[in-house]
Amino acid sequence: MSDFSLIALLGCAIGLIGIGFAGLVLGRNLFRIVLALSIAEAGANLLLILVGFRYGGIAPILEPGRTVANMVDPVPQAMVLTAIVIGVGVQALALALAIRARNAYGTLDMRLLRERMESDIDRAAGTTPDTSRQAPAGTRPLPPPLLAKREPLS
Amino acid sequence: MMTLDNLLALSGATTLAALLLGQSRVFAWLGGLMYIGQIILLAAMNLPDVASFGFDIFGQTVGWQMDGFGRFFALITLGAALAAIAYTGGEWGDRYVQNGNSRRTLQFALALNVLAMLLLLASKDLIAFFIGWELTSWAGFMLMAQGGDRALRAALRYVPYAMGGAMAVLAGIVLAHTWAGSLDIGVLAGRLPGLANWQIATLLVLFGSGFAVKMGLLPFHLWQAPAYAEAAGAGTGFLAAISSRMGLFGLGLLLIKLLTLSRVADLSFIPGVFDAQDLVAWLAAFTIVLPTFTALKQNDARYLLAWHGIGQSGYMLLGLAMGDPIGTAGGLLHVFNHATYQAALVFSVFAVIHRTGTADLNSLGGLVTRMPLSFLAMLMGIIGLAGLPPMNGFVSKWLVYRSLMIDGHPFLFLMAVLGTLGTILSVYKLIHNTFLGQLRAEHENVKEAPWSMTIPMLALVGLGFLTGVAPGLALHYVAEAQAALGLPVMPYTMGGVQSPRGDLDMIWVVGVLFAGFGVGAILFYGFGNKSKRIHQLDNYAGGHFLSADVRYHYSDNFYAGLMHRIGPLYRSSFTWLESSIASSVDLAASLMQGWYRQVTPALVLLIAAALGLGWTIWR
Amino acid sequence: MIVLVLVLPLLAAFLLPLMPGMLRRLIGPAALLAVAGIGIDLATITFQQPVVLAVGGFLPPLGIVFQADAVSAVMVVAVALLTLLLWPWQGDDASVLDRKQALTLILAAACSGLAVSGDIFNVYVFYELAAVASYGLASGNNAAAKVAAFRYVILGGIGSLLAQVGITLLYFRTGTLNLAHLAELAPHTLYDPLGMSAFLLILLGFGVKAELFLVNTWAPEVYATAETRVSGLLAGLVSKLVLIILVRVLTLIFAMTEAHLAFLVLGMLGTLTGELAAYRARDVRRMLAWSSIGQLGMAFVAFSIPGPAGMAAGLAVALHHLIAKPALFLLAERWGGSLASLTGAARKSPIAAGLFVLFVLSLLGVPPLPGFWAKYLLLTGLAAQPAGLWWLAGAVVLLTTAIEAVYLFRVIGALYTRDDSQESQPAVNVASSGILAVVLVGAGLASPILAAPLDRMAAQLADAPSYVARILPALPMPPDSTMPPPGPVPSPDPMQPPGPTQGVTP
Repeated sequence: MSDFSLIALLGCAIGLIGIGFAGLVLGRNLFRIVLALSIAEAGANLLLILVGFRYGGIAPILEPGRTVANMVDPVPQAMVLTAIVIGVGVQALALALAIRARNAYGTLDMRLLRERMESDIDRAAGTTPDTSRQAPAGTRPLPPPLLAKREPLS
Repeated sequence: MMTLDNLLALSGATTLAALLLGQSRVFAWLGGLMYIGQIILLAAMNLPDVASFGFDIFGQTVGWQMDGFGRFFALITLGAALAAIAYTGGEWGDRYVQNGNSRRTLQFALALNVLAMLLLLASKDLIAFFIGWELTSWAGFMLMAQGGDRALRAALRYVPYAMGGAMAVLAGIVLAHTWAGSLDIGVLAGRLPGLANWQIATLLVLFGSGFAVKMGLLPFHLWQAPAYAEAAGAGTGFLAAISSRMGLFGLGLLLIKLLTLSRVADLSFIPGVFDAQDLVAWLAAFTIVLPTFTALKQNDARYLLAWHGIGQSGYMLLGLAMGDPIGTAGGLLHVFNHATYQAALVFSVFAVIHRTGTADLNSLGGLVTRMPLSFLAMLMGIIGLAGLPPMNGFVSKWLVYRSLMIDGHPFLFLMAVLGTLGTILSVYKLIHNTFLGQLRAEHENVKEAPWSMTIPMLALVGLGFLTGVAPGLALHYVAEAQAALGLPVMPYTMGGVQSPRGDLDMIWVVGVLFAGFGVGAILFYGFGNKSKRIHQLDNYAGGHFLSADVRYHYSDNFYAGLMHRIGPLYRSSFTWLESSIASSVDLAASLMQGWYRQVTPALVLLIAAALGLGWTIWR
Repeated sequence: MIVLVLVLPLLAAFLLPLMPGMLRRLIGPAALLAVAGIGIDLATITFQQPVVLAVGGFLPPLGIVFQADAVSAVMVVAVALLTLLLWPWQGDDASVLDRKQALTLILAAACSGLAVSGDIFNVYVFYELAAVASYGLASGNNAAAKVAAFRYVILGGIGSLLAQVGITLLYFRTGTLNLAHLAELAPHTLYDPLGMSAFLLILLGFGVKAELFLVNTWAPEVYATAETRVSGLLAGLVSKLVLIILVRVLTLIFAMTEAHLAFLVLGMLGTLTGELAAYRARDVRRMLAWSSIGQLGMAFVAFSIPGPAGMAAGLAVALHHLIAKPALFLLAERWGGSLASLTGAARKSPIAAGLFVLFVLSLLGVPPLPGFWAKYLLLTGLAAQPAGLWWLAGAVVLLTTAIEAVYLFRVIGALYTRDDSQESQPAVNVASSGILAVVLVGAGLASPILAAPLDRMAAQLADAPSYVARILPALPMPPDSTMPPPGPVPSPDPMQPPGPTQGVTP
């Protein structure tokens, strides 16, 4: 593998992490958020494997009767296996929770879910929530909105 | 035998007994005996007495030791507790329990306060001091919170002040430890004066604020009046008498022993004209005047007395801040004097509440015919509060005035006199509206307060009168306190002071006073016409005979003319300051809550990570 | 024997659904009691001399090492006993209860592992184990809990991501995962911007569970919706263990001023935001959540002080919070609603109200309770540092304590107001809080005696060279030559372009 492809792969790894992060920051749908996390984790795993690369190294498999002069570092590969498994488990759990949230609240939109969760907490505790920053104060009629409201994702 | 260990053990035993037995009437006697025992132990102690149960922790030695300065305050504490416990054992205590309160908690709070104050007053190093300080604050909170929801709310207003003050004291302790390397008070007294000016200023501000909160010094005084006024009767007496003086104990320790007045005077704002010592004296002077004139406006007798309590502490600090033997003796003596007459006044007001059910000055009147003993106690109490002979208040105020004049502070003297003027005006309103004037129809059947209430009152004013006639009795302990602080001791006699800077002989003064009264009595009773006693309503006005339902002698808007003049001067600036600080904290809190309610925390994380990486590269 | 502290609860967790009848309910507490016993036994040894174990016989720096010093032993005991006190005895039905108990056991096992592990990736694995167990526990109760748990999962996932990248950078620079070996190599390889970035990534990554500022927004939501016992476990126990891990990383590997400053600044901001947010809280559970964020911020500030003084202060703050916060959460099980619903509760449950007051006073730092000594150590440690940011942190700590007093006493005021409509606290909760109160008061009164062990723990924690010395030279390097030597290896062929692993030779 040449220098260029190594740097390209490195860029891909960092780029994947970046894409994942961007998805996490911008995502509104729960499923997209989980996907973004999974992409970012893939990028991190790729980064970890690349750290183990050695020029001219072969796969780290020992065969009887053969000494190995140069092999790639096996430790990051072991680490990545563990990380992938952990990632899969966490994503599965996240998706299960997303399904439960959808069943309970009828939507997958993070903003709506957060508001409904907050109002549930307030109702269970018996407190009145702070006035919403979105609802206008008072009862004066507002002018009609300029753009049509987007349907919340579900 | 008469050691600090035994004293603290007895005090601890009293607290435990209060917790276990406090709900019974018997405990009032038992507790009283135990307090008397503590007074005896304390009075007979050889000073200085070191306790044997100190300990070492984190490189600091924590220990307890009683000296003359502490003993002076401790005796007053125990006396106040003794007077308060008499209240709880009798009718007042029974009525208290009937209203749904717990006598056990009240007794326990009282005993805990005494124990905490003893621990504070006998501290040898600053950690022991802080332990005692916090215990006193929270025991005081517990005592203030007894007696109902209003008391609890007023006590909750105390919490931010107390905690803020305690944190300031803790900051001061930590800084003193860092700069001077030790926390033992004796060692610090040697090392702290050697620090730089800015360090002394920092310590003065930190410790001073903490002690000022407890004492009710301006501008930290707003919590004290409602908290002391709404507390339960026995508790109010104890609190008003001695509780806030713990702050004065701290200030005395700070200004005179630890930092020394000369170093404090070195911190000058305007060189030669105004320095930190003057600042302390002026704060004390304003504390005398402003709360006293706030008391003038009050219509609830308890609030009136509570505001006076705040004002009188200004005299004590003013005397101490002068630093000369007469002034400091006056300030310290005022602590004792104030305890006697303030407790007596509070008790008499609560006796009136017990019998009539109200403390509203606009709903009372004429009770002198029904409650003469309470009237006598209040009369002597207000003479003491106003600072007139033959009561002890006169002696301490005279000493303070004398020292102000000698040290050349004419404006401070004027402020002190202005305070006395306000005091005289407002206590006259108190006694007139309560006892003088026309008896109301609904109070026709009011009886005198029970013996469990009148005896403590009269004992206190009796003590006040005795120490007014022969102030040397109290000045003995004052001299001890001065010596323990390292101040020059005032040469005292049984009758007062005899020194080249001024002398006072109360025995002679009181003798002349009574001789004058005697002459008047002879003239009135001997040579005047025989007077006949008739019923108050056996009278007529405007051509009509009078009946009890007609209010022909009453007061409304007392001192209307004065209030019209000085009314605009009442600006509630301190209340405004307090509420603006509270709403700023509220605003900051809302912002922080908004921070925690983000929809996508990842965004903030991304920004922070980017900034963090930028910072690491830049470094 | 050290291995048993995590094997026993883990085994119990997986065997639990297979057990018959009564045994099923007893196996968990039995495993925890056994762990507590082992921990106490370990403590008697490790206060003199820490114990090192090479797992599976594989020697470091390639093999995983378990290192138990005084702090680890104390933490193991704390894990076992606190999990027992906060044990879920009740569930909706048998399978739900099985699940709760199994997850709690896994959480306990992972925490014990965090206490003893000596390898950074091993730490990562235990951290993830604890995380997944806590996600499961946090999502148990109601619909709102599912959403809160989802947000927790996502934030935790981001944290794991950051931690993984940080560990990647560490491995890239030094070629090893063993904490002692990293400590040895750190001065040459990690004291530069790349190393500092690795530290920040690990700090933010693991900081999710330590309720570090910037990554703690999950806490109010989860503590408000999950069961109070779970909240108590998370806030009281798990956060401390993760904090200890971060402290080990700080003292062993990244002992530079910038790293300490990062701890200080993030801790200060955490304290300030947490306590101020709690000031306006209207329900008790979220108030406790923000309060715990604030207290943990104080712990971070304490640990940021260099030297044994900082370690002692941090350990005091952390251990005190470990006792006080779960007790408050236990009491909040019935009292977790709005302040208005609390009025008059003291009449119905006077003991519980008294306990609440006791714990509040200790949190505020009222002597002679141990909270005071924790604050005292923290403030003296801060004051001993050069003026500037440290003193600002001290002022922040004092200010937030005053604010803390106001909102905590608001709750107490509501408790003691006269009202008639209240249900009483369940006896189990009062009993457990009572046990914690006894421990608290005992610790407070015995503080002079406990000061020496605290100093010993702090000295061991702060002493990086002896940590390295007891792990590396004590166990010699493996003679096996088929394994490549540790550390990045430059290309053997000088003609080839330099590889991606440009690190310094070990």
